[in-house]
Amino acid sequence: MSDKDNIKVYVNGRPVKIYTGMQVKHALIASDESLYSQAVAGDIEIMDGDGFPIGMEGALREGSEIRTRRKK
Amino acid sequence: MHFRSRSRALSVFILVLIFSVFPSAETPARGAAAEITILHVNDTHGHILPLPERNRDGSPGSALIGGAANLAAMIEKERRANPSGTLLLSGGDMFQGTPISNVFRGRPVLEIMNELKFDAMAVGNHEFDWGRAALEKLSAAAAFPFLTANIRDSRGNVPKWAKQYIILRKNSLNIAVIGLTTTDTPISIKPGNVKGLIFSRPENVLPVLIREVRRKGADMVIVLSHLGLDADRELGAAVPGIQVIVGGHSHTAVFRPVTAGSAVVVQAKCCGEYLGVLRLKVDRKTGEVLSHTREGALLTVYSRPRDPADARIAGIVRGYDDLIRGEFSRAVGETSADLARSSRQESNIGNLVADAMRNAAGAQIAFQNSGGIRTDIPRGKITMEQVFTALPFDNYIVAIDLTGRRIMQILERNARADHGLLQVSGLRVAYDMRNEPGTRLAEVSLNGVPLDPERLYRVAVNDFLAAGGDGLAEFREGKNIEYGDDLREAVVRYLRDRSPVNPKIEGRINIIRQ
Repeated sequence: MSDKDNIKVYVNGRPVKIYTGMQVKHALIASDESLYSQAVAGDIEIMDGDGFPIGMEGALREGSEIRTRRKK
Repeated sequence: MHFRSRSRALSVFILVLIFSVFPSAETPARGAAAEITILHVNDTHGHILPLPERNRDGSPGSALIGGAANLAAMIEKERRANPSGTLLLSGGDMFQGTPISNVFRGRPVLEIMNELKFDAMAVGNHEFDWGRAALEKLSAAAAFPFLTANIRDSRGNVPKWAKQYIILRKNSLNIAVIGLTTTDTPISIKPGNVKGLIFSRPENVLPVLIREVRRKGADMVIVLSHLGLDADRELGAAVPGIQVIVGGHSHTAVFRPVTAGSAVVVQAKCCGEYLGVLRLKVDRKTGEVLSHTREGALLTVYSRPRDPADARIAGIVRGYDDLIRGEFSRAVGETSADLARSSRQESNIGNLVADAMRNAAGAQIAFQNSGGIRTDIPRGKITMEQVFTALPFDNYIVAIDLTGRRIMQILERNARADHGLLQVSGLRVAYDMRNEPGTRLAEVSLNGVPLDPERLYRVAVNDFLAAGGDGLAEFREGKNIEYGDDLREAVVRYLRDRSPVNPKIEGRINIIRQ
């Protein structure tokens, strides 16, 4: 899937194509814009595949995993 | 004789007491293990002022987090606990990202880092955002080295603004710190800013350098990486001989240090929210890490009134905060017309922003989402603050090739009117809103010529649209992507170059409604 221009990342297990060099926030927009809005509003937590919190401007690469979870 | 023996015994006892209570900086502590504390930050992105806590994780608490003055107090506290065995490192991307740092091209952050006596910083991809001259200037003014081992100039030399590694002496250990920069830099940064630089794969350069620093007497090796956590893990597993990887780039809050091969991997999220504190016990003979912090490796930087703050750093921050207020009230241009937004039709401020984007990217066409323009600007002088208020999002320009067919699909989808209308530059578009969704695009032309569905056009958009924002997924189908300027900076430059501007509604978008 990866080519010069694109990478594939996973948002809550769903594959999403974004441009190479894009960040977590772009993957959320590409996956489901409402997820991005919820993240900006602070309604959800964003984590990597291991459950570590990640920032919205965090870098991604081919195969990166992003998980979201509604805040308690 | 008996007296002399007692006297000698007393002298020995006093000497032992003195050395146990007042160990010198280079005196090994008891036993074979040296205590090393690695303090680290990464991806500060210009955040030297505290932020409300909800900006970090959205919680509605009133606490402030981050802020260089409070971070400084925490650093000093940790240093006092291990004065001869503490390192202060940055995983890169320190300067670009906030108005207070951007306007002064990173100077406030650098001044603070100098004051805090950082030992080293990895070169991050965003260190190139303002071009090489700005990077060289920052490096020259830094009291610590910028490290990158995998960038060479066109002649094959290490760039003059960087070193590959340094070797520090801490608690009688020689500690090598080797810097690495993401190989995605050339594609994630404006191409001209990295022109002529060669980025090598870290795993190709690192083994040679590890042998080199070992030959020079390094007891242990720290890799100061701006590669991202996943890449750090792979590196630790693939390259033997690394004891610690202090990372950045992925903005990951690694509360529990990760182990990869022989390496302990840490990272402190971003934006100055955390101070990473990794305590190690290191075998003095082998340099092997005997034990390390397992939990709670990140300390939150709180900036509440009761939290200690460093007065010197607070003074630096306050000084630049005053300066930025002055900069924000300064005129950057002038408009002869009231600049008014619209999300349902062409707007003159939309035309101005889209023109600035097209101009900055050297593209044929530009699109700006109406929702990205948040306020009007009345005729007269335009201040920096007005630009920031009108364009509050931290967007940057992205240039891509799109076929005429894709562009028409985008415009057709946009004509469903479930989001604001795209503002355009370069194109003339006509919509017939009397038609059903999917059949509303009536005309689209560039320089009077209808768009050719098969032809590629160079298109500038902001990063929100490039990610498919406003439901326009077709924007993600571009090719030959190039990242460009910060959107606001492009608009400011456009205003500075062309004021007074007088943008008009000029029929770029024609809408037939009834």
